[in-house]
Amino acid sequence: MRILAAIVVFLFCAAPAFASAPKALDIGPGEQVWFEEDHTVPMVAVTVALPAGSVYDPANKAGLAAFAAYMFNEGAGEYSSVAYQAAVANLGMQLSMSPDRDYLVLSFTTLSSHAKEAFRLFALALQKPHFDADAVARVRAQMLQSLQQDAQEPATIALNRFYQAFFGDHPYAHPVNGDAAGLNAISAADLKAFAATHWVRNGAKLTVSGDIDTAMLTALLKSTFDPLPATAPPPPPPVTHTGPPGLIVVAMDVPQPTAIFGLPGMLRSDKDYLAGYVANHIVGGGDFSSRLTHEVREKRGLTYGVSQVFGDFRLAGYVIGQVATRRDSMSRSLEVIRNVLAEYAAHGPTEAELRDAKTYLTGSYPLAFSSNVGVAAQLNAFQRAGLDIDYVTSRNSRINALTLADVRRAAARIFDPKREIVVVAGTLPSPAPQKSRKPTKA
Amino acid sequence: MPPARAALAGLVALAVLAPARAAEPVSQFTLANGMQVVVIPDHRAPVVTQMIWYKVGAMDDPPGHSGLAHFFEHMMFRGTRAEPDGAFSRILARNGGEDNAFTTEDYTAFYEQIARDRLKLAMQLEADRMAHLDLSDPGVRTERDVVLEERRMRIDNNPQALANEQAAAALYLSHPYGRPVIGWPEEVHRLDRAEAQAFYDHHYAPNNAILVVVGDVTPGEVKADAAASLGEVPARSLEPRVVYAEPARLGETRLAIVRPDARVANFSRFYRVQSYARARPGEAEALDVLAALLGGDSNARLYRKLVVEQNLATDAGAAYDGDARDSGEFSVYAVPRPGVSLQAVERAVDAVIAEFAATPVSAEDLAHVKTQMIATTVYRRDNQLSLATAYGQALVIGRSVADVQDWPRRIEAVTAQAVRAAAANALDRKEAVTLYLSPSPT
Repeated sequence: MRILAAIVVFLFCAAPAFASAPKALDIGPGEQVWFEEDHTVPMVAVTVALPAGSVYDPANKAGLAAFAAYMFNEGAGEYSSVAYQAAVANLGMQLSMSPDRDYLVLSFTTLSSHAKEAFRLFALALQKPHFDADAVARVRAQMLQSLQQDAQEPATIALNRFYQAFFGDHPYAHPVNGDAAGLNAISAADLKAFAATHWVRNGAKLTVSGDIDTAMLTALLKSTFDPLPATAPPPPPPVTHTGPPGLIVVAMDVPQPTAIFGLPGMLRSDKDYLAGYVANHIVGGGDFSSRLTHEVREKRGLTYGVSQVFGDFRLAGYVIGQVATRRDSMSRSLEVIRNVLAEYAAHGPTEAELRDAKTYLTGSYPLAFSSNVGVAAQLNAFQRAGLDIDYVTSRNSRINALTLADVRRAAARIFDPKREIVVVAGTLPSPAPQKSRKPTKA
Repeated sequence: MPPARAALAGLVALAVLAPARAAEPVSQFTLANGMQVVVIPDHRAPVVTQMIWYKVGAMDDPPGHSGLAHFFEHMMFRGTRAEPDGAFSRILARNGGEDNAFTTEDYTAFYEQIARDRLKLAMQLEADRMAHLDLSDPGVRTERDVVLEERRMRIDNNPQALANEQAAAALYLSHPYGRPVIGWPEEVHRLDRAEAQAFYDHHYAPNNAILVVVGDVTPGEVKADAAASLGEVPARSLEPRVVYAEPARLGETRLAIVRPDARVANFSRFYRVQSYARARPGEAEALDVLAALLGGDSNARLYRKLVVEQNLATDAGAAYDGDARDSGEFSVYAVPRPGVSLQAVERAVDAVIAEFAATPVSAEDLAHVKTQMIATTVYRRDNQLSLATAYGQALVIGRSVADVQDWPRRIEAVTAQAVRAAAANALDRKEAVTLYLSPSPT
């Protein structure tokens, strides 16, 4: 067919000019606000991050931050739990709470015609949350049951065990959703006190996208955040070291065990962070073209998915990979992964791989900005990473400026085989593989 | 509660206005080879989403070869004569694009999201694999192993997924909706090149496909580019789809599955009901409204009664899936609190359903739930993939663009009496499978 001739022409030219240009709003000294105005769809998307993640959990109350997060819509001001949730739903507003290790991330979308009322309800929950006994008991029961549910999922078991091994006695080590002992030890007074000290304006990250104007938004944000305490929570302890490398097997009888493999990464403030990010994308990033996917899935059919994330908490960078495969293929899969990573650590990417990674990463960047919900979420992630607003527009040129030497240097620095921790959740048929060597990524 | 009442006044107005506001501009035409095309411009970001919907799914798997449609979806990424060895995804990634696909009982859909100036490339790649897929590649068998790993991950490792698979098999006495989309493992093992080739020849043709493009394009450009690529693929004679008998069930099936790996017990029930494709006017809409009132979220009656008021469950809900060529499905579920029996939560769920069947829902509750449902059509416009999916999923089962655009108006027209009738008549226990999943015998 004649159309085929055209296909072989790969397009290496730069991605089209990128349209997003958020502006910063000043609503006070504590909060950082970025806003992208767009009136195409009659809705507004809001993302708010507060310094209220699980890193602030006391040692004997693991799960406190998440427990408080899930109480966000369980009653506020003059509304009972039932009345609050009804008011939110009846407005057509959609509200979600996502606690992570560093932040409580709150998101809502509202029809623009109802923005004022939506902000009022949101503000009420922030300023006057209830923590009523019946709601506390209900949410506790739900969280405990969800922990039980997790106990049947090898991927969750392996990941939890990995964080425990990796972070040791640091509060990053425990699961965001806590453990049964911690959840049972938490009282309504604990939750109230946590909200009072952590749901604060100091350090809050606010991003908004959609059909609203600056004057109205500024007024709504001020009335939402001005009444919050201007204090900051006590800083969590630094991450001074990570756990010893090695292989950990958590026995469980499942048809398909999961392995988590990882090692220290880079802080977002590291000058080689982007080089590390690109290096990891090439060897194990999420799309179908990574070296790991090619070797483990496409060539050998060992798994449905293998990928490796280059991530960063505020106080620690990490590299975490995951693979799931049938029992009798786990040892082989881990061996293939080890070899891929060892080879990559030694030699780094090729010029062609780097070029392809750049065109993918820069070309796909605008996809994150094609919806109001996407814009608010992406801008908020940049804020949480400590980036300035000009990063939104300079990000692609920064990636394009990376040299092969930059990426190889980052890879060599990160992928030290001797530091890798591997956790397998599942029971393997034969002796488990010996100490694994290394993943590479940068 | 005064605040809730105050909000209500605004809602009634919203419900009337929303349908008009939610209608996005849609262009529709057909290429010379019979391929249907739908275009919806969205100029907010310089990106585009392309979806191709084939009117073939797991219900078209030949006897003894369940899983073939899904396996074939994987085959579509293996390669063509011009672009062998998995080049499809690599070329897209190299151009900043993302791609994926999914298979259901009724259809198979492929999509790409990419910069607007690469849409032509995405069309050429889709045209190439529609016409020239190369199944001689040894990778065919490797991909079968990948699919078996996918099955282990999604189904075999997950007791609830295994139980749901058995419930579906029990619900359909003869219709292939009773077979898992991913296939029974014994039958997936049998899939090979010959089956894949026959499936391709019989079903993958432009006259059996729908192109949906949403994004920064005009209908004119899409028409010209599609005509020059996808429009060049010759039409083929299609294998007629089998029409299956769907005998009325004479009694409920009850299934009790005991597995120690199910850490948390679960009650669910699946009813065979009408689908949007086959229902009389208003009938499917009433089921949608009933599902939202009964179990759409934490404001719905099941959660309110079982979780908040009676303390019997930690979660409860309902759902209606009416996007099907043949039967639709309505389901309810509840997760008992520790110490509460599955029988007790089942009785409580049935009491709530009986209430709906006996007493028409209040005008206020009905207005609230309609507002929520109609708001989702505004939020859908925020996301290219959601919007493209809404249209593709309707057209692929034989519904029209007008049906999608008119949905808010038809939801608005659902009466309390129609909801009562749906609960009383459509939720027929003879047409149901009731499933108990528990870690130990109850």
